[in-house]
Formats: sequence, C-alpha cells, structure tokens
Amino acid sequence: MSIFPPIPIQSPKPHPSMEEMRCPLPPLARMHLIKGKDAIDRYLAMHIKGLSKQEAAAYRNSYKKNICIDMLRQGYHKSFAELFTLIEKWNALREASGPGSAIWLEKSLEEQPDKLDQLHYFLTRAEAAQRSEYYEEVYANQLNLAYCFNKPEDRWLRNYFYEQCYKTAQLIKIDGGKKEAEAHSNMGLVYEEQGHFLKAVEHYEAFYNLTVGRTWKDDTGRYFNSLACEHLWRIYTLLADKMLGNNEHQEAIGTLIKAFRMAKEAENMKMEGETAFCLGIAYHSAGELKTAILKLNTYLEISKLLEDYVGLGRAYQAIAQVLVSQGQIAEAIMYLEKFMNIAKKVQLNQSLVDACTFLGNIYNESGNYYKACEYFNQAFEAANALSDLALVNETKVYCGIGKAHSLMVKVNTHTEAADPINIKYLLDWKENRSDMFADPFTVGKIHIMKHISVPLPLWLSHFS
Amino acid sequence: MALEPEGERAGELCLGPATVRCAACGVTYYCDVDHQHADWVSIHEKICQLLIPLRTAPPFYNSDKERKLGQEQKRSREIFLAGMTYDTAQNFLFEGNHEDAIPAALHSLKFSISIHGPNSVELVPAYLVLAETSLGLGHLSQGEEYLSQAHWIVLKNAHCSRDVQAKLHRNLGLLHAAKGNLDDSLYHLANDVYFACCAFGTTNHVAVAGGYFHMATVFFRQNRMDVADSLYSEVVNIWYDHFNHLIDIQYQKLITPAEIDLLSEEGGTEEDILDEKQQAEATQMLNPILEFREQSPKPRLEKMAKLFHTLAMFYYLIHDLPKADEFVMKVLQATEHLPEHEPNDSLYHLVKLIKSKPAYAK
Repeated sequence: MSIFPPIPIQSPKPHPSMEEMRCPLPPLARMHLIKGKDAIDRYLAMHIKGLSKQEAAAYRNSYKKNICIDMLRQGYHKSFAELFTLIEKWNALREASGPGSAIWLEKSLEEQPDKLDQLHYFLTRAEAAQRSEYYEEVYANQLNLAYCFNKPEDRWLRNYFYEQCYKTAQLIKIDGGKKEAEAHSNMGLVYEEQGHFLKAVEHYEAFYNLTVGRTWKDDTGRYFNSLACEHLWRIYTLLADKMLGNNEHQEAIGTLIKAFRMAKEAENMKMEGETAFCLGIAYHSAGELKTAILKLNTYLEISKLLEDYVGLGRAYQAIAQVLVSQGQIAEAIMYLEKFMNIAKKVQLNQSLVDACTFLGNIYNESGNYYKACEYFNQAFEAANALSDLALVNETKVYCGIGKAHSLMVKVNTHTEAADPINIKYLLDWKENRSDMFADPFTVGKIHIMKHISVPLPLWLSHFS
Repeated sequence: MALEPEGERAGELCLGPATVRCAACGVTYYCDVDHQHADWVSIHEKICQLLIPLRTAPPFYNSDKERKLGQEQKRSREIFLAGMTYDTAQNFLFEGNHEDAIPAALHSLKFSISIHGPNSVELVPAYLVLAETSLGLGHLSQGEEYLSQAHWIVLKNAHCSRDVQAKLHRNLGLLHAAKGNLDDSLYHLANDVYFACCAFGTTNHVAVAGGYFHMATVFFRQNRMDVADSLYSEVVNIWYDHFNHLIDIQYQKLITPAEIDLLSEEGGTEEDILDEKQQAEATQMLNPILEFREQSPKPRLEKMAKLFHTLAMFYYLIHDLPKADEFVMKVLQATEHLPEHEPNDSLYHLVKLIKSKPAYAK
C-alpha cells in the first residue's frame, strides 16, 4: 500500500545494440561448436577420413564439458572456474528450492548452448585482458555479459556480472572514475529492482558524487549527472513513501527534501512538482498544515506552468483536503469547485468523479443534503460515462446516502408538525414502504429509493 | 607342488624361467637374485607369509559348503593384499622412489585382476600407479601401454568415478608432456582439471591444484609466461586456502581452553594435519613455483608474499619450525615494501602457533 502516487521502479535497461551482439565464432575450428546431430553427420561426411581420439571424445562429451575443456587448454582457467562455479551455484539453488518451485522447471545453464557460447566468448576475452591488466577491456566484456542476460529468468546472472563490473571498475583509474560511476549506477538499479532501497541509495549517492561537475554522457546522450539526480530523486521518493507507511514522518520529510534538491539540480520541473506534492502530503500527515499548503501551492504553480491538468486537479484536491482538516470548509469548497471546473473542461471524468464525490461529502457533513445529492448525482453520471463498474457502484451508494439524508429532513418536518394530515402522510408511507409509487415524498425518485434500501438501516441507526 | 619340474616355474616379476626360491615362504620364485632382492625390498617382506595360503594347493573340502567358504576366504585374502600392495606402491611414489614401487604395484595389479577380472574399473588405479612409476623412470612406451590399458577400461565403463578419470588424464597429460606433445598434454590436463572439479564440486579443491600446476608447467615450456604465471598463482591460492583452513583449526584449539574430552580430541587430530599424499604434492608444486617466482625478471611482491606465507604454513604443518620461521620473516620483508599492506590475521595466528611450540621456545 503506497501513500504517494506510484513511481515506477527502474531496472537496468537492455542494451540497445543487443540484437547485433550475436556471439561471433572464435577463429578456432572448434569441434564442439557443432551442436546438432545433423551437423555432426555432415561434419563426418566432409571429413570422411575418420576422427581423432579428441574429436571422438568431443562427440561423446556434453557441450558444457567441451566448452570447459576448450577454455582450460587455452589457459583460461579463471573463466573456467567462473563458469563452473556459476553452474554449481545455480544447481545448488535449484536443489535448495526443491521440486515444485519455479526454478525447478527452468533449464540449467549447461543445457543452453547459446548461453554457454556467450559466456565462453566474453569470459575468455575478459580474462585475456585481465592478464595484461587492461581493465577497461575486462569491464567492457563483463558489461556485455550483463547485457546478454536480460531475460527475467537470467536475472541472477545479470546481477552477478554487474557486480563483477563494479569490482573491475574500481581498478580502472585512467578514466577519472567514469566506469566506476557507471558501475555504481548499475548496482543501484539492481538493488532498486530487488527492493533493497538503502543499498541502492548508497550506490546512487556514490554515482552522484562521482559525476558532479563532469560532462560524461551515456550511449543515449544523457548527462551522467542528471541521470544520477534522477535516480536519487526516484529512490528518495520511494524511501520516503516507505517511511510514511511506517509513520516516520520527520524522516520522510527529510528524505523528500533531499529528493526536492535532486529534482532542482536535474532541472526537471515535473520531478520538482511531484516532490512538492509528496512533501505536501507528508507535511499533512505530520500535522504541519501550513507548510503542507505552501508545498501544495508550489505544486499547483508548477502544474499550471506545465499545463498538467491531472496534476492541477490533484493539487486542488489535496489542498482542499488539508483545508478540510483545518476546518476551512468554505475555502475547501472553492478549491474543489475549481477542480471540478477544470475536470469538466478537459473531459477528465475520473477527476470529475473524485471532485464531485469530495464536494458531496463536504456538503453532506455540513448538513446541506440537497447540494450533497446534487454533487453525488453528478459523480454518478460521470462514473456512468466512464463505465467503470466498481466506480459506478461506489457512486450509487453515495447517491443513496445523500438522498436518504435529504429525505430525513422531510420526515422530521412532518413528525414535528404533529397534525393529523402529516401523521397520515407518515402512516401511509410507513404502510406502503414496499410500494414506493404511492409515497408522497418519493414520487418520481424511484431509482434513487432503490439505492436507499441498502444504506437506509445504516443511517437510521446513525441518526437514532 | 614340490614335484613339479623346476623349468615350468615362472619368475615373480618378469615371468621368465625361475631358478631361485624364497626360503621364507617357499612359494615364490625368481629368475635371479636381483629380482628377488627388488621384490623383497619393495613388498615381499611384508606379504611373504601371506602368500603361502594363496599359493599352496587348497585342502580337500568335504562339502560344497566348505568349498565355498574356502573360496570366500581366498577372495578376502586377495582383496586385502590388493589394497595393501597398492598402498605400499603409493607410499613409495610419494617418497619419489619409483624403482621400489614397481614390484608392489605389479602385485596389486595381479591381485586385482584375480579378484575383478581383466576388464574391470577397479584395475585402473593399479594401472595408473604402474604408469606413474614408468613415467617417473622415463620408460615412456611402457607407461603409454599401461595408460592405454587404463584408458580403454575407462572408455568401456561409462560410470567410472570422476576422481579416477582425473588421475588417468593427469598421467596421460604427463606422458604427452614427456613426449613433447604439448598440445595433447594440455588437452588431457584440461580433462584432469575438469574431472577433479566435477568430483569435488568446486574449483578450489586441493585435488585440482595438481592439474593446474602441470598445465602451468606446459605453458611455461610453450613460453606463454602470462598464462603460466596466472596458473601458478591459482595453485598457490588453492594451497593457501587449504593450509589456512588447517591453521585456523589449530589456532582455535590453541585459544580455546582444552576440554577434557578424549573422544573429541581423537576426532580432531584427523582433520588438522596433512596426509602424506598432500605433503608430497605440496612439496612437488610449491618448490618449483618458488623457483619460478624467484627467477622471474620483475617479481610481484604481493604474489611473493602470498607464496612465502603459504610455505610458512606448510612447513609449520609438517613440523619444520625453523623453516616456517624463516618464511614468516620473508613474508614480513616482502609486505614491508607493499604500498598498502595491512597486518594479516592469518599470519599473526601462524606466528602465535609457532611460538606456542615447546621446541621453538628453547
């Protein structure tokens, strides 16, 4: 359950050029690259002279074993160890989850020759680079591996290689920390995706600190620094949302102020506005109503500037809410009417429903049942236009409450008058309660009375 | 049996016409005194009396039941002898005494064949010991023959244990290295490493170190120094971790007050000492690496330090305290020059352990 409007959690993007990154064959004529039975037969036909012992063994062995032996005999023992450990790790994980778990049905790495190929190709290149201590190359290869495994079932591999990248990046000193920054950003995204927000914050902050005042850009031409601000802004907001959920208001406000600073630094009005709105809500729930209104007004201004009508509506509604808790009903109504007008103007039925329901509720509580009815009716019509069944049902109930309340006034006047005619009216109504047509108060309002039948006992008990 | 003519007796080792008989057991024949001496030194002294019941004619059995019992007894005796002769041969190998290992290994093979038949997987270890001795003595073609036998058996028995397959490939690799076929050698050593890893489920097991070490030596011969260097580091790392684990156990014992519990003490002594095999392997690998590192034109201090540390732990574990102390000093010297060296807990533990030994405190 989140308090703020949803902020999409980001996870690392697939690399744009991944499609062309099909693993090219290494120059060696590797027997084991022949994967299918047909291919082997063709190979045999072409090389009719027979097989050497090694070729025969390659035919008998599993693909994984051939890959491993190929790496080893070329001296890539670290690649071998890494691959072997990864496979063992996965198998152990699978054993631990037991049959019936999701991982149980997945294919092991050793049964997926394409992935083994990719691992073989990039791991050996990385190791070769590492031997000559050319860490940038190592980093590039590890990053490619991380990009290779972007499917949901390969997340663990991707995360593993992002971690490796991070370790390698710390050895790269020449580029002034660009790779390190990038690695931090990736680690942050991984942790964010896993829901470890605090760890993600650490990495994003490191990313930010490394990119302050730099003009590095990523592949899509965005500045690293503004990316860092954006990441930090998002993670701070998510964190604050979590804090508010745990009723840690002051901490949440502190975090949101940090987020606000990030939004300002990123020069992104939309983000600034979002944060102002969140701050308003946070202050509201912390009980600091004046500050809350101040912040919400900021949001209002920004929304106006951006011509964001949904945002504008949300701002009016939030302000009205704060005003209501301050007891300034009249002002709240003013804001809500503005909200309603905007919603009507730009055909935002959802907002219209919200606004009308809210207004109706306010009038209902202040005893102005006719007005309440009117707004509830509007809400009902707007909901009908949306054809959202749940919403329609909800507004039906509101309409019922409103109508019942307004009926209440008439019943009371009849009762208080206490003359025979009025008593007769009341008795008639009482006797014919099932037959609504004959009732003098509800003629022509049949469809409303149907809705009353549900909440009627409710309000009766409420007012008795 | 005494009635059989002399000429039909076959020598114990060479199967040639026999002229000499062991006076102690009276059932073992040799072609000459040299062979008798070789067999005596290697294994015969230990099994002399045990051979008598196997080689004399079986007594007359009164019933089928007795006959079966007698056969079973013979079989269990042979199994015992096969195991014992194999262990003896192995021990000679660990000492580097190839010559003396041969008769014992031959016996082991003979008994194994008698128990399991000529095509069974159980024969492979015996063949491997024989091959190893042959390679050690430089008899390459002989070694190749044994290895081919072993390989053929393994190929026919798909369910052969990984451990054994690893050993087979290691010996094949060594054979090819000795013959100068470096590429084939690498292929087999790669197989060795792969099987050893599969057998133990990890790439950091001591059993894998041997394969890495021999590969490094081959790469060294191919003049691919960077690969050799990286592999040597890997070997040192594996031993380092292994020794460190043992040292840790001993240190924990040192600092925790000894509990008066005889049972647990007996159980504990097993795991914190090096067995002979590991001792032999460690010596065989670490010393050449030390030589390699000392001769390399630009020694890397952190690698040197790690090697010294490993050696110090090794000498401590085989109770050679002066040497252990010497290497601790070398570690300290090497780490002094390192830019960012932090005091190493593990080294500290080692020094404490060395100091705790009464022999050192004199």
